[in-house]
Amino acid sequence: MGLLSIIRKIKRKEKEMRILMVGLDNSGKTTIVLKINGEDTSVISPTLGFNIKTIKYQKYSLNIWDVGGQKTIRSYWRNYFEQTDGLVWVVDSSDVRRLDDCRAELHNLLKEERLAGASLLVFANKQDIQGALKPAEIAKVLDLAAMEKSRHWQIVGCSAATGDGLLQGFDWLVQDVASRIYVLD
Amino acid sequence: MPSGGAAGMEPEPDQPKAVAGGGRRKHLAMLERLSKHSSSSTTSTASALPDSTSASPVVAFLTRFAAAKLAAESALSACRASSSPEDEATASLAAAAAAIDDLDRLVAESSHALPPYELRSALAAAADLRAAHRAAASEIRPKKSFSFRNKSRAPKNPPQDPATVPPPQPPPPEQPKPSIDVILPGFGFRARNGATLVKDLRVSNDKDGDFTLADLVSCEVFLKGKCRALYVHKLRDCRVFVGAVIGSVLIEDVEGCTFVMAAHQIRIHEARATDFYLRVRSRPIIEDCSGVRFAPHALKYDGIDEDLKESGLEEETGNWANVDDFKWLRAVQSPNWCLVPEEERLQTVDISEIHEREHDS
Repeated sequence: MGLLSIIRKIKRKEKEMRILMVGLDNSGKTTIVLKINGEDTSVISPTLGFNIKTIKYQKYSLNIWDVGGQKTIRSYWRNYFEQTDGLVWVVDSSDVRRLDDCRAELHNLLKEERLAGASLLVFANKQDIQGALKPAEIAKVLDLAAMEKSRHWQIVGCSAATGDGLLQGFDWLVQDVASRIYVLD
Repeated sequence: MPSGGAAGMEPEPDQPKAVAGGGRRKHLAMLERLSKHSSSSTTSTASALPDSTSASPVVAFLTRFAAAKLAAESALSACRASSSPEDEATASLAAAAAAIDDLDRLVAESSHALPPYELRSALAAAADLRAAHRAAASEIRPKKSFSFRNKSRAPKNPPQDPATVPPPQPPPPEQPKPSIDVILPGFGFRARNGATLVKDLRVSNDKDGDFTLADLVSCEVFLKGKCRALYVHKLRDCRVFVGAVIGSVLIEDVEGCTFVMAAHQIRIHEARATDFYLRVRSRPIIEDCSGVRFAPHALKYDGIDEDLKESGLEEETGNWANVDDFKWLRAVQSPNWCLVPEEERLQTVDISEIHEREHDS
């Protein structure tokens, strides 16, 4: 117990946040992380396993866990749930056919008690592609309104290719997490 | 009296000591030795000076612990009482958390000087308070993230979630489906049999769009120009030629097909007996596939060099052969895929003479 108090204190001092990025394969999770970190996004292989990035964002230090979305490795997502402050769910807005899968996986994930306190940011990615569904339509298909009362959530349209909307989304997430975790400051 | 009581408790730790093994036993033995040391040093003086706190760290601890415990308890009951103003409840919740933290620290600091029983009951009291605090926190603010230990919240959350989440699920599946055809009328070939399907994306305005091939049987598909993303679903015995995909290709459920294409990313799911002639910036991946083979890109038409260049695909990276099989995460070669032997490979296919016009069978 003494150790936990110490860890918690350290976490407060550095203003650290742990962000978990998940979503179906091909939704653009890794591209979003690299883009927001100002890295080259032209050669990205589908994620076999996971990537961790620590990014300074405003006065916070974000530990971003970007976990692969292929069906085979989705069952390993649960290994990353512990201590998650913010959850980012990435949607390929032009992949209309798999939106049902997308909703099922999301609601499955949100049942997880270890994520019960995490704020949820939904990125409706690939808005730069003609014919992509708009964030409002994605919100409807994913049935986000169902958790209106049980969770802080927000949907933001974005394009990992151009960078549009990424900062807007992370701004909301960081503010929302900060207002919960750092309530004492 | 307290120090005498502590001395009287000494035989008790012998029971867990006898049962417990290894490190725990050692630990308990050490605690016992320490407590014997401290209590024996106090018992002699305690009889003479029963009220002296300096004489007995145990008495001092018990006093301080009782005070800290009282503080935590009163903060907790305060936040239970102040039900209506959320800010107030939050504040007293935070105060309770701080008081419990103090309690933990106090126990940690004095643990070396405490008799085992005292230590255990103090830890148990702190744990009880922590649990009470958690319950109060979830009452006041269900979303508060105490991610360190919310396991005991299990009985609270699941009854809510299944009740609130599943019922609204059934209706939405119907809603998006009509929108597929409404929103993407011209962006793909769907449900055809034995057709030759040609699309020149350079002459249409669709170059920033995605393209879908779905439910095709025995078709030949020629896609010239560039698109942003390509989705392929349920193809049987088809031959597919695609110019350049600036983003990613997602292929699912194909059998007996041949694909020739260039793209930044390629994901292949549930493909059987299918050949892929690829140029790809990153490593292609397969999942749930069998009998798939890979070979280098082999496509030509007037203007393909410009299309590839403008898509950042002019360079041959050799990644067509660096396939990751998500169903075979081992060092040895996956049995699910191989390279097409050179003597069996397609010659470069020239589709310059094929123009946009659909020949239905």
